[in-house]
Amino acid sequence: MSETAFVRWRDLPRGRQLVGGAPMCAGCSGLEVLHQVLDVLGEKTVIINSAGCMSLLVSYPYSPLRGSWLYTAMASAAAGAQGMRDALDLRLAQGMPAEDDLQVMVLSGDGAAYGMGLSPASGAIERGLDFIYLVYDNEGYGNTGQQQSDATPHGAHTASCGSYRGWKKDLFAIWVAHRPAYAATLIGSEPLDLARKVDKAARLKGPRLLLALAPCPTGWDFDASATVEVGHLAVKTGIWPLKEYVDGRITHTKVPRERLPVEDYLVRQGRFRHLFEPRRDEARLGEVQAAVDAYWAELPGG
Amino acid sequence: MYRIRFHGRGGQGMKTASRILGSALFLAGYEVQDAPHYGAERRGAPMHAVVRAARGPIQERGFVDRPDLVVVADEGLLAEAGAAILQGLDHHSLLLTVGREPAALWQDRLRLAGPVLALADAVIAAGERHFLGAFCAGAAARLLGVVALACLLQAVDDEVASFGEAAVARSRELAEAGWRGLEEHAGSVGEGSAAGASGQAPPDWIELQAEAGDLAAPSIHGGLSSIEVRTGLWRTQRPVIDYAHCRRCWWVCSEFCPDSAISVDADGTPTIDYAHCKGCLVCLAQCPAHAIRAVPERGASS
Repeated sequence: MSETAFVRWRDLPRGRQLVGGAPMCAGCSGLEVLHQVLDVLGEKTVIINSAGCMSLLVSYPYSPLRGSWLYTAMASAAAGAQGMRDALDLRLAQGMPAEDDLQVMVLSGDGAAYGMGLSPASGAIERGLDFIYLVYDNEGYGNTGQQQSDATPHGAHTASCGSYRGWKKDLFAIWVAHRPAYAATLIGSEPLDLARKVDKAARLKGPRLLLALAPCPTGWDFDASATVEVGHLAVKTGIWPLKEYVDGRITHTKVPRERLPVEDYLVRQGRFRHLFEPRRDEARLGEVQAAVDAYWAELPGG
Repeated sequence: MYRIRFHGRGGQGMKTASRILGSALFLAGYEVQDAPHYGAERRGAPMHAVVRAARGPIQERGFVDRPDLVVVADEGLLAEAGAAILQGLDHHSLLLTVGREPAALWQDRLRLAGPVLALADAVIAAGERHFLGAFCAGAAARLLGVVALACLLQAVDDEVASFGEAAVARSRELAEAGWRGLEEHAGSVGEGSAAGASGQAPPDWIELQAEAGDLAAPSIHGGLSSIEVRTGLWRTQRPVIDYAHCRRCWWVCSEFCPDSAISVDADGTPTIDYAHCKGCLVCLAQCPAHAIRAVPERGASS
């Protein structure tokens, strides 16, 4: 960590890359993460946006961004990033000054990143495309009313599946299996950890994943003011491990000393209310806790 | 045919209001349409829902542009031109506002040709604004005067059942409170006349001169234009900083604000941009010094 520009809280960027007026819900952690990431990356970033909640980020003629934004269909953001990178490389070859180059960053929700956009992303990683892939993971198709996605966790109620019987896909592991330049999990409630990872990713070349859990007041059914608190609980219960992959190694960047019971996190959200009311569903609460315990038990020193 | 519009914000239950009223009218023997109108789902953003009810088949579709009754669940919306609350109101349309202000104030401010009624929402606590739908549906049903209380309560049971017994019980209470609150105005909304193509006024055509392409369809190169979008109008609660207790640990409120709506000056003093703050109150929840409090945003937003 010695090379990081972000040692203490006071090292976090003061300036804001985004301005207000974006049409995301009040308390949106996806927008919070986007501002935290862009505040580190800076102005020279071009966003390739796959369809999702952030479809409305730029609604003609209004944009909260300083830089450019390219909108793609849900599955196509990685392909869009390839085209953007190729165009910039062409311009560089034609003599564009190196300081005019841009960081190419996909902005994707979990519906696209875990599901229909996965195959093009896999291809882009395999080709060694030089891009960042930022995911705001709110564990469902939030823009259309929180239907189940491949990121929906076990037991969560969604608009399409009732209480989900499946398990959240491990996108971090899928990326790591491709041996990318970098991969990290993030959360907006830990801005210093986030800034260090974004800073590290920005200094590397090649395919880089930034996967942020994005607590969603609308889709997860909690009060908008609790977005950061729910994020803290996701980390403290061990449900959302903060980690990074670089140089072939996975490191956990914030290991909860004593994990809180997962129900401390679940009980705050309406999407899990049926696990507590009208009576406690001990079996399913136990399944969620056992999965988290098993994850941490497998770690060296876990 | 009855034509009713419910205006509110995402999360205030106006879709539920339209469904309850629609079901109640159906139980009373009417043919019914009910439908919410919004773009992508956004908690806090203006939305509306419509109900049409007639004794015969309904051929009309889409937006209700000649309402017999307009219910506004959130007084703050009356200041938002984009919410289009006053659209199509004429001498026979009744406007019902729900909130604190008296009818005379809105009659005076809005200068409407038709009647205005106001219903106090004191029975609804700050934390249960999502029950506004049941309250508004009860009020609307009483104003129409053709729905029996039993039909209204049956409709509440049908529409709210999936949210659990407690939600049904509270919705029944509030639907009946809305119903009782307008006892003396029962039946004061009449049916509108049938609409036909022959009765439609032609649109006001505006002749646009053909301009050169670069003038008529300019590319938008300027960033940060969303500053023109006043998302501050979404706010129902306003965070206020107590500077005597603020510790100038600027990173907390500014870093966590999803909307980049809190800026900090050189000495770390935060300032909230009320034109864009959506009132999520993440800053209030996270301020370590508890130096931020919430005050209700009342009446037409100032």
